[in-house]
Amino acid sequence: MTPEREKDILGRLAEGVLNYDEEMVRQAAQEALDEGMDANKAVFDGLVAGMKEAGDLYEKQEYFVPELLMCADALYAGLEILRPHMKSTKEDGGVKGQVVMGVVQGDVHDIGKNLVKIMFEAAGFEVHDLGKDVPLEKFVEEQLKTDSEIVALSAMMTTTMVGMKDVIKAIKEKNPKAKIMIGGAPVTDEIADRFGADGYAKDASNALKEAINMIASLREL
Amino acid sequence: MSMKPRDRVLGLFEGKEVDRMACYSGMGNVTTAGLEQLGYKFAEVHTDPVKMANSAATSYKLFGYECAVVPYDMCVEAEALGCVMNAYEDVAHLLYPTIKEKLIHSPDEMTKVTIPDNIAGRGRFPLVMEAISLLKKDIGDEVAIGSWFLGPFTLAGQLMDLNDLFKLVFKKPNEVNILLDRLADLIITMAARYREAGADYITIREMGAPTDVLSPRSFRQVIKPHLEKIFKNIPSPKILHICGDTNLIIGLMNECGADAISVETKNDLAKSRATIGSEPLLFGHIDGYNVLCNGTPEDVEKAVLASIEGGVDAVWPSCDIWPTAPLENLRAMVDTVKKYGAEKWARKNR
Ligand code: B12
Repeated sequence: MTPEREKDILGRLAEGVLNYDEEMVRQAAQEALDEGMDANKAVFDGLVAGMKEAGDLYEKQEYFVPELLMCADALYAGLEILRPHMKSTKEDGGVKGQVVMGVVQGDVHDIGKNLVKIMFEAAGFEVHDLGKDVPLEKFVEEQLKTDSEIVALSAMMTTTMVGMKDVIKAIKEKNPKAKIMIGGAPVTDEIADRFGADGYAKDASNALKEAINMIASLREL
Repeated sequence: MSMKPRDRVLGLFEGKEVDRMACYSGMGNVTTAGLEQLGYKFAEVHTDPVKMANSAATSYKLFGYECAVVPYDMCVEAEALGCVMNAYEDVAHLLYPTIKEKLIHSPDEMTKVTIPDNIAGRGRFPLVMEAISLLKKDIGDEVAIGSWFLGPFTLAGQLMDLNDLFKLVFKKPNEVNILLDRLADLIITMAARYREAGADYITIREMGAPTDVLSPRSFRQVIKPHLEKIFKNIPSPKILHICGDTNLIIGLMNECGADAISVETKNDLAKSRATIGSEPLLFGHIDGYNVLCNGTPEDVEKAVLASIEGGVDAVWPSCDIWPTAPLENLRAMVDTVKKYGAEKWARKNR
């Protein structure tokens, strides 16, 4: 593949995500495969680059939540085609790790959780999304079932935030190795400490950084 | 001159001279202190009109709040259309009810939702109206009785997944519009019924539409036309409340036709006044959780002063008052308004 052709395809993958044009993404993804582009390259230098740009626009308040959700749909449309061809070894930046994610019981605020999920998926994590209003036992079960390295809990209200403490305790009892990170508007670093969580982040991009650090520290062990 | 809370609250809307600004809300303000005094559990007051009314009256009785507002949860309208509510009766700590079964599961179901003729008789609408009437009889001479509806967009987010709705705003704008228009009709019909039942003022809460989530452009195109229709067709006094970031849309909110707009703590009041000018009635913006619940009475006094000096015309909390807020904080809120609500009220001293 010529460098120009490669640039063209990657450009359309990124632009398709940024302009939430699923058709454009699908077509460029198919061309990438047909013409022998490395799938990991197509994902990270194409799709993810576009998603990153969308995230920047969100921070500048040019994009809002609906726009990001649509960018994510375009990203997923491309991933569906490219993922089967990705090398999933850690060094290649394929699947980074597994995360169980959900909004705790009694809380339906899931907009923020969904943004965190998009960031994780774009970065190559496999996310087991339990949705919102998730009973506490569900987190424990899912962690055991999937043997995920990370459990990410979200809460937007104080009373529901308190429920996180019990989830953390229950998971740690069953599986002390699992790393738990918590977030949502009422959560702070100090609360995360007090509840026995391993990490906290104030927004989706910091959540991703935190998760990558957690995985790194697990792999060092 | 000392006025009754009711006359103070309603007088402002009627353009009458009032002695000071009022300290009240258009949203839920029941406290665990009030519930405990009556021996009620939060989970049971949503389905019993007497308990709903009695608990709503405690905020006036315990700390001199100048209103009484029902209901507390955001499921009433959605239930009347067929959704199923979860009150979390078997959970020990306090949780707000949520919708556990949605009505709309795919985009084409959006336009299939119609408003039944007997809507006022469905779900908990009769119960809420009974609670309003009971409150009216109990303390309606003293304080203003308020009730509220979700705005059409936020209500649609109760009937279907809100995240799907966000995307459909772009992908199927016509269908979204049809749905929101019908929900606006529901709100107009029921607002009239709530008023007949005894509500003195109605708040429309469009909390799914702040700029934390939606762009000003989407607000203008999708949210505003329906709010305009509602405010054109419901009787005064009528207030528009939006939680979250609202500075970028305060001008648009002001054009919706409400008699007053209410904002939360994230709103920079000085900037809002710069946009909308000094004339429109602006309410807010005490943090119902971080200040009223977690703060000290001194924090509360500071927050109330910041709202008053920011240019509000009534001190309102930023959303529902979080029920576990201690009484001393709530008393500090009311007392601070009593103390400074005339002297520092920009409108009065113009
Ligand atoms: C939209 C909204 C709603 C929508 C939610 C729709 C949905 N599907 O999510 C609706 C209208 C349904 C709603 C309902 C209610 N709401 Co509401 N709502 C909001 C609002 C306006 C915005 C929240 C939001 O989505 N922000 C945008 C997102 C992108 O930000 P975010 O969630 O903070 O997420 C970011 C970070 O926190 C972080 N993050 C999030 N999760 C995680 C997880 C991890 C692991 C990590 C690391 C990071 C992380 O990353 C995200 C992206 O950067 C806030 C106001 C506010 N000031 O926040 C009130 C607010 C959260 N609601 C509030 C209340 C009271 C309610 C109700 C109880 C009202 C009622 N009477 O019933 C109900 C809840 C019922 C229930 N049992 O759940 C209060 C909560 C007060 C408190 N005690 O803490 C708030 C704060 C309003 C206020 N000013 O008081 N609400």
